[in-house]
Amino acid sequence: MSSATDVAGRALEAARGEEAEAVAVAELSGLARFAASEVHQPTLIENTVVTLRVVRDGKVGWASTNRVEDDGLRDLATRAAEAADSARPDETFPGLAPPEPLPAIEGYDEATAELGAGEQARLAATAIEAATRYPVYGFFTSGVTEIAVASSNGLTGEQRLTDATALVIAAGEGASGYAEGTSWAADRVDPAAVAREADEKAARTLEARAVDPGHYRAVLEPYAFAELLQYFAYDSFGGQGLLEERSYLCGRIGERVFDSKISIADDALDPRGLPKAFDFEGSPKQRVELVTDGVPRGVVWDRETAAQTADGAVPTGHAPPLLLRDYGPLPFALSVAGGEAQSVEELAELVGDGIYVTRLHYLSIVDPREGVITGMTRDGTFRIRDGRIAEPLVNLRFTVSVPELLADVPGLTREPTLVNQSDFYGERFPFGVLTPAIATARFNVSGSGSAPGI
Amino acid sequence: MAVEAALAAGASYADARVVHRRSQHVSTKNGRVENVRDVESEGIGVRVLVGGAWGFACDRRLSDAGARSAATRATGFARAAAGPHDRRLAPLAAKSGVYRTPLARDPFSVGLAEKVDHCLRAEQALAHADVKVTQAFVRAQREHKFLVSSEGSDVEQELVECGGGIDALAARDGVFQIRSYPSAHGGSSAQAGWEHLDALGLEREAPRVGEQAAALLRADECPAGVTTVVLDAEQLALQVHESVGHPTELDRVYGTEASYAGTSFLKPGDLGSLRYGSEHMNVTADATTPGGLGTFAFDDEGVEADREPIVERGLLRGFLSSRETSARIGAGRGGSMRADGWSRMPLVRMSNLHLEPGEGSLEELIAGVDDGVYLETNKSWSIDDKRLNFQFGTQIAWEIKGGRLGRMLREATYTGITPFFWGALDAVAGRHEWKLFGLTNCGKGQPGQSAHVSHGAAPARFLNVQIGVRA
Repeated sequence: MSSATDVAGRALEAARGEEAEAVAVAELSGLARFAASEVHQPTLIENTVVTLRVVRDGKVGWASTNRVEDDGLRDLATRAAEAADSARPDETFPGLAPPEPLPAIEGYDEATAELGAGEQARLAATAIEAATRYPVYGFFTSGVTEIAVASSNGLTGEQRLTDATALVIAAGEGASGYAEGTSWAADRVDPAAVAREADEKAARTLEARAVDPGHYRAVLEPYAFAELLQYFAYDSFGGQGLLEERSYLCGRIGERVFDSKISIADDALDPRGLPKAFDFEGSPKQRVELVTDGVPRGVVWDRETAAQTADGAVPTGHAPPLLLRDYGPLPFALSVAGGEAQSVEELAELVGDGIYVTRLHYLSIVDPREGVITGMTRDGTFRIRDGRIAEPLVNLRFTVSVPELLADVPGLTREPTLVNQSDFYGERFPFGVLTPAIATARFNVSGSGSAPGI
Repeated sequence: MAVEAALAAGASYADARVVHRRSQHVSTKNGRVENVRDVESEGIGVRVLVGGAWGFACDRRLSDAGARSAATRATGFARAAAGPHDRRLAPLAAKSGVYRTPLARDPFSVGLAEKVDHCLRAEQALAHADVKVTQAFVRAQREHKFLVSSEGSDVEQELVECGGGIDALAARDGVFQIRSYPSAHGGSSAQAGWEHLDALGLEREAPRVGEQAAALLRADECPAGVTTVVLDAEQLALQVHESVGHPTELDRVYGTEASYAGTSFLKPGDLGSLRYGSEHMNVTADATTPGGLGTFAFDDEGVEADREPIVERGLLRGFLSSRETSARIGAGRGGSMRADGWSRMPLVRMSNLHLEPGEGSLEELIAGVDDGVYLETNKSWSIDDKRLNFQFGTQIAWEIKGGRLGRMLREATYTGITPFFWGALDAVAGRHEWKLFGLTNCGKGQPGQSAHVSHGAAPARFLNVQIGVRA
């Protein structure tokens, strides 16, 4: 794998004389994907991509390449300069990020970085062998990612990240269960335990029934709540959503709109997550309080969106990678404060009568301004009766207002779980949500779908 | 070099794909240039069968060392893969060939500055009171790729895409609405040159788009109920994609996509016997469609492009398949394998999947409705893991009363179960209403892959549809 720091430095050198910024991402990863307890799509990736931003007379252009030898970098500099020349002067452009001290973070594990294809295949096999009831579907992956930035302002930064995820669906005819484990250190991910959790969950889903549409109380496992919150965050917790008036937080910052048990931050510095030291323009990552005790406090910003605010918002270290620029700054390290419940069973007691949801599938934003999201439950949906997790249910269609779901929260579990949110499109950028399980007084079931299982 | 190295390392089959992809993306927002970017990526991906097990590895270096490294690592990964492994491929007569997208004006010959101007002009025409955000974008992509296999396939293809779109975002008194053209979620692209952009007429359509975005702020919410629904061609393209395209992918039918995108309500034995929809439903997979994003001469396994029925008069007639899944089901020949660039393994993907036209016009479809709604342009989309329960929302709708369009409606949604919904297909408009839409955001696989696919459709009418889902 090429050194990201070396590549970023040489790309900047290729653009000598320009006002420029180079961001390099180097990836070495393996993913052993399995279906029906057999590895069927094993993928090994080695790549290094560098993105060069050039500013000429207030005009900004980008180019990127993975041809990181000298001739490729010369072409890169030429294409980035042409892109800049083709733009229009941007009076709101705040300039490239200045050098700032970067936080010291964890998030790199040498043993994880050294995992090779043989070990990745073996860890996938560990998951496959641990499921005794049902065939399993999923993957084990690990990778090392280096991100480096260098700019004509004298800014330099580098970070090495490792990540590992085991994801398992145990499934047979009419039964399926889900579990996953994610960490920046592979020895904290136990593929066998993940497989056993999925296998045991699947065994409880046979003979699932439908329920009538309507509003239910519910318990959402961390897998389910993490995905729902990440989708809500795309519109509501980013600076661009606020500027474009599609965020639920528009006009509501400082008002109590959620249950007082709800506190949410974006914290890429937390070693329990997948830590990052800086964003894709080299600004240091900051912990951002999004919601405190049920009161929205703010959103995340990059330099560009912060400069467009009337009240002078401060960049928080959330500039996205080039291919996500259209979405503006987004929180990729959501962290939900834990509650008092010791277990999901205790949350079920608080709910009394309702629905228990393991995970979600295929979410879509129906109304961004009101935080309305639809999707399906999957691989472990149950009825809660008399305070206990009871009979299995078919996959349910839900259409929920996330703010309403968060407005009345009987409880959360004490310990958060890190839930992977990367589907590994494009260049590897591991991220996840750190969240406990949550109980809510309002979860709208709008229909029924297929039964669990394959 | 890569194929030889893989065979020398013990592979019984190997293929190598070299891909160079370059793309340009220009976008403007509120009169400001947001993005002018020029992105390229190249590398080699090597896929092998060793003892019946797949292995895949890739390397960005287009050199002997890169090719050998990818081949060796792929064979090593295949050897380490858990499972009994007995994967076989449908027979393929090795072919050589060269294919290039026909172009009138190469989109890369159009300067970035001209692309910026195009966006700014279109965006200015979107301006309207209550429209808070105007945005426009254009994109171009050239993918030059080579495939060689140990069975003698030797194919070179150069596929060029061009597309764009505009959006108006309106907000007032806590209500937020969006209107897009020619399609939501990234406009519409085609395998074509700049002439496709000219034909879209972004600047021409912009005033209507801006006006409708503003008007939606004052529109009534779509009521709830069960009624007759007429879908425009754009929404229908996504309906076909989600509820016909994905469930007929044979890898999903066999469960190999279970851990991410999901499986299918279809079973292998349903071929030729399952009633998918009404007699008005005719769906065709066609990798030869001029302008289609899924158009090629050969797929990424070297299988020649073809046009095949998937649903005929409502009956399931075909699956989208690979050589492996074709061998497993004992039918077909593959032809739907596509990879996202050089660093991903080919998967069964849609190419171009069309709802074939019927007769008459959109106006005639609407005239046949006494009480119902007409829905236009997708806004939200979701479907379950077996592709049965779906819920879609559209940007705009109109009530239909007495065969005529009435008041404008916002927050329109509809939901259904796939075979029941298609079973209630009452009519499809004719050829002159049929349009091709190119989507660039079809996700599948782990690690994730984005596919570019096209769908042709004409507006269609469905009976007894649940609309107006609320939170």
